[in-house]
Amino acid sequence: MNYKELIERLASQTGHSQKKTRQLLGEVTSVLSDQLSEGKSVSIPDLGTYDTKINDEKKVYNPHYDAFILVPPKRVVEFTPSSVIKEKMKFLETSDE
Amino acid sequence: MSEKITFKELVELIAKQSNQSQNSTNSFIHELVGIIEDGLKKNGSVSLSGFGKFELRWMKERAGRNPQTGEEITIPGQNKVVFKPFKALREDVNKPFANLESKIIGDDPDASKPAPKAVPLAAAASVASTTGDISIDDLLIEKENPRFPSAPVKKKPPLTTPSEEKLAREVQKKGIFNWSYAAAVVVVLAAFIILFFMMQRLGEQTDIAPTADEPTEQVLTPIEPVIEPDEQVADDEEAEPGEELEQTSFETASHTLQSGETLWSIAESQLGNPYLWPVIYYLNLDLLDNPNQIPSGADIEIPSISDPDNLNEFEREQIALGYFSLYEWNRANNPDEARYFLWAVGVFSPDLLDQPPSQVDPDDLIFARNR
Repeated sequence: MNYKELIERLASQTGHSQKKTRQLLGEVTSVLSDQLSEGKSVSIPDLGTYDTKINDEKKVYNPHYDAFILVPPKRVVEFTPSSVIKEKMKFLETSDE
Repeated sequence: MSEKITFKELVELIAKQSNQSQNSTNSFIHELVGIIEDGLKKNGSVSLSGFGKFELRWMKERAGRNPQTGEEITIPGQNKVVFKPFKALREDVNKPFANLESKIIGDDPDASKPAPKAVPLAAAASVASTTGDISIDDLLIEKENPRFPSAPVKKKPPLTTPSEEKLAREVQKKGIFNWSYAAAVVVVLAAFIILFFMMQRLGEQTDIAPTADEPTEQVLTPIEPVIEPDEQVADDEEAEPGEELEQTSFETASHTLQSGETLWSIAESQLGNPYLWPVIYYLNLDLLDNPNQIPSGADIEIPSISDPDNLNEFEREQIALGYFSLYEWNRANNPDEARYFLWAVGVFSPDLLDQPPSQVDPDDLIFARNR
């Protein structure tokens, strides 16, 4: 489902206009990213938990340079789906992709 | 690990920011979650613009074990919900480390880092990563990095390193560095070409043993640079920084920087050899911090070099110190290329490489010596 369809459905279910829905959804995601950027972890019931973790600095081999490369530490988003949604999706018949 | 914020707090924040009641925000999010579920069921993926994409991923049937009984079981194939953050979110979250860049550290880190050198490496690494709150000590090999996909970490036999220019070209092509000044690019390229040609020229003139063409075979163990006896400078003072004035000093001429000039072009016109530009940089360190951006209109001192084809010891040392300053600058600002400057230090003054004025990264040192 792309963003447009999502907005359409969300708008019809919440009774907001599509424009308003778009704006509200923008607020939701921006608050979520702000919280994650501050290193906080955020749970959304029935959906899952967003958290961040720091991948340590590491050395990897890069065949292009035939050399090892020191990759700096990095903070990444981790999403853990809630058990509710996990169970719902587990044995779902989906078309491939 | 991270500090949690509860769903209630989240709703409060969103409600405040969007000027909605908490009730309606709460139900909005629940609707959203419901639609995400529906979307996953129907299409297997849902994207939220500017945030990320939810996807179902089919995990194949596999063998497993009941952790309680130890009994072998077959785990049936099932869907897994994954979330892929989009670029904007990834960048936001990675902000504390955004200024860090990957750097090439040469050959197998385990082989080229004998125990006593581990400490300086850690120190160098912590200089590079300006944020102090992560432990540098555990260098873990982990999953993946978008820029440098991790290859199986197997040790390939060290081959001849690619030629300077080729590497430089490739590095430029890959857009690893975001120089905003065209002049800067010229200077960087120039630096690479210098290093390449200087090596050959000096190889002819002064019999320094390692040449750029020679494949280095014992790359993994630090070795003493091979030097012809008559090339070795007898006294140790040579390598000490700050003592250069004891021997002699440059006669200098003043030069006003014009717009469009580079240190390279000045060295070419005033010194007769563009590869000597680091000596100008060194002599004017107080004025020129960034060698790639020189202030136009400033007055700098240009040393006089009598015969660029036949440098005396003092001149060589000064040039080497120039390259060393560039090494330090690049290590702070452009770590991928820094080691080439260290290598050039050794070309002009092997003694200086043996007794560097300040701490150098052991991996860079090995590179400089073996190249």
